[in-house]
Amino acid sequence: MALPIPEGSATTALPTLATAAPPPLPSLVSSRQLRMQRIGRSLRLWIPVSILGVIIFTAFIWPLVYTLPSPTNGNILDAGLPPFSPGHLLGTDPVGVDLFSYYVYGTQTSLEIAVGTTIIGMAIGCAIGVTAAFAGGWVDAVLSRVLDILIAFPALILVLVVSYALGPSKLHLTYALAFFSIPVFGRVARGATLVLRSSPFMTAARLSGTRNWRIIARHIMPNILPGIISFSLLGLGLVIIIEGAIDFLGQGIEPPQPSLGQAIAQGQTTMTATPEYVLMPSIGLLILVIALNMFGDALRERWGVQ
Amino acid sequence: MALVQQVQLQSGPPGAANRARRVAGSPAWRLVGRRLLAAIPVLWGVTLLTYAIMSTLPNTTAQAQLGLNATQAQVAALNHALGLDQPFWTRYWHWFVAVLHGNLGTSISNQSVNAELASKLPVTLVLLAYALVVAVVLAIIVAVLAARKPNGIADRISLAISMIGLSAAPYAFAFVLIIVFAVKLGWFPVISGSLGSTPMSYFKALTLPAASIGFGLFAIYTRILRADLVEQMQREDYIVTAKAKGVPPWRVLIRHALRNSMFTLITIIGLNLGALVGATAIIETIFSVPGIGQDLINGIQNHDFPLIEGIVLVFALLTVFGNLLADLMYAVLDPRIRYGTSNS
Repeated sequence: MALPIPEGSATTALPTLATAAPPPLPSLVSSRQLRMQRIGRSLRLWIPVSILGVIIFTAFIWPLVYTLPSPTNGNILDAGLPPFSPGHLLGTDPVGVDLFSYYVYGTQTSLEIAVGTTIIGMAIGCAIGVTAAFAGGWVDAVLSRVLDILIAFPALILVLVVSYALGPSKLHLTYALAFFSIPVFGRVARGATLVLRSSPFMTAARLSGTRNWRIIARHIMPNILPGIISFSLLGLGLVIIIEGAIDFLGQGIEPPQPSLGQAIAQGQTTMTATPEYVLMPSIGLLILVIALNMFGDALRERWGVQ
Repeated sequence: MALVQQVQLQSGPPGAANRARRVAGSPAWRLVGRRLLAAIPVLWGVTLLTYAIMSTLPNTTAQAQLGLNATQAQVAALNHALGLDQPFWTRYWHWFVAVLHGNLGTSISNQSVNAELASKLPVTLVLLAYALVVAVVLAIIVAVLAARKPNGIADRISLAISMIGLSAAPYAFAFVLIIVFAVKLGWFPVISGSLGSTPMSYFKALTLPAASIGFGLFAIYTRILRADLVEQMQREDYIVTAKAKGVPPWRVLIRHALRNSMFTLITIIGLNLGALVGATAIIETIFSVPGIGQDLINGIQNHDFPLIEGIVLVFALLTVFGNLLADLMYAVLDPRIRYGTSNS
């Protein structure tokens, strides 16, 4: 906001002051502090990303490169080996199954189910939420009630019933979990769209005669996706935990197939004598979910969501 | 949460006429009415959905009651006597009418579901209340300490703890608690099956289950409350006014900021009540707490229709009640906020 300089005026002192470069903001933080903040900000993103990278590499690529021992059949002669035994990084369980291999394949299962669930839930939930908020009126009222019903309905029951009725399998579990993640994404998408609906660029788009689907695709989706994606990372962690709970209750993955929830459930039976069988998968689960949550937080910080 | 976006700030002079109109048309009471009306289709939908999903399962009620040696004819006769051979809508209608009369039916083991709920529900409610109260009190203390100096030591520690609480699976955390406090230290029982009759034995038996449920809640509440407090301390005019008046920082934080942040916290607590169902069911199963969460899991494993329906209804009521409570607290406690007339 430079003021025009009155030409040839006697009061030169004032204009000079006004045209000078704006004085720097009172420096509350030193440049060193600023640098530290920037480093902290990138660490908050890259630490969880690298942890996730290591986990994903170990769970999906490592078993292809290197032949791990079978996660289901062990040699009974090797039963109950402590961690760091030769050939068995994390030791073996009471029937001789290699625990490292079991956890690797278990993590693979958990991640596959979580990602599948979240993608289905996100796609359908977004569609419902955006439609409800965009259409408004009775469509919104009906769709919102449906979402309310799904939220008030205990997800656990549905999941357990589906695994009973269709038989326990990875795919059925994914469907059942997705069904319950729909209303959560639906509400988030609806809320985000409602905020956008009254913004000037939406009015402009409407006035210029843009078709509804184009408004949704080009104006709404790009604006709500950052929020939804960072939210979905929280959702991934939650789905992994819930999937573990269902395995734990014996309704999820069929027992010989490895999963982190199964590992915790099996370790629990000998908890008093060998607590490490519970602790190792629990800590693995914790690290995985913490990395996902931190990644979500870092993305939210970067994208300035909420 | 969508409701919050529809709030209207009421402006206008606080004249006598205005006040009288406000009492007569009490927006809070109108809100109660509207919310209760909106809750009816939700509750009805939940029962119908549960009934429909459960009816896809093979019907084994008669077989279970008669034993494995029952003949086909006996099973068919009992099915007929119980009305289980009727079409879905007839069965649902009979059940629904009975529920409206306050009768939740008879469970697979020939017990009244009403009696079952009456004996088990209090335990679950005590457990939930215990977990909630401890989580809220601790969250307030930790959040205030953290918000006192953002990015300070206390803040960083609280962030780390709440991140762990947010990410820890309740069942895994429960096992860690059992290993440490029940097995190694022996302070609490591993199994909370018998609660005893004194408050002390109740407290002892329910501490570990409540801690397992409460840790996650504590983490969520701390994060939200801390964020809200920090934002208020930086933005709100009344905070600046209070500081300018020379009110001590602690007092500003507790009397001015915390009071207003409590509304956010209450909303979150209300909205979260329903999500506690799953956690309760698993934790009660792990500790064999005789509550309705464990009953629910047993019911599902035994295909016990009426019992599951009854418990789902209770949990749905809890969810709806929680949402209602959240809305009301917002409308009644915070005079800056009044709800608009549009429904959501």
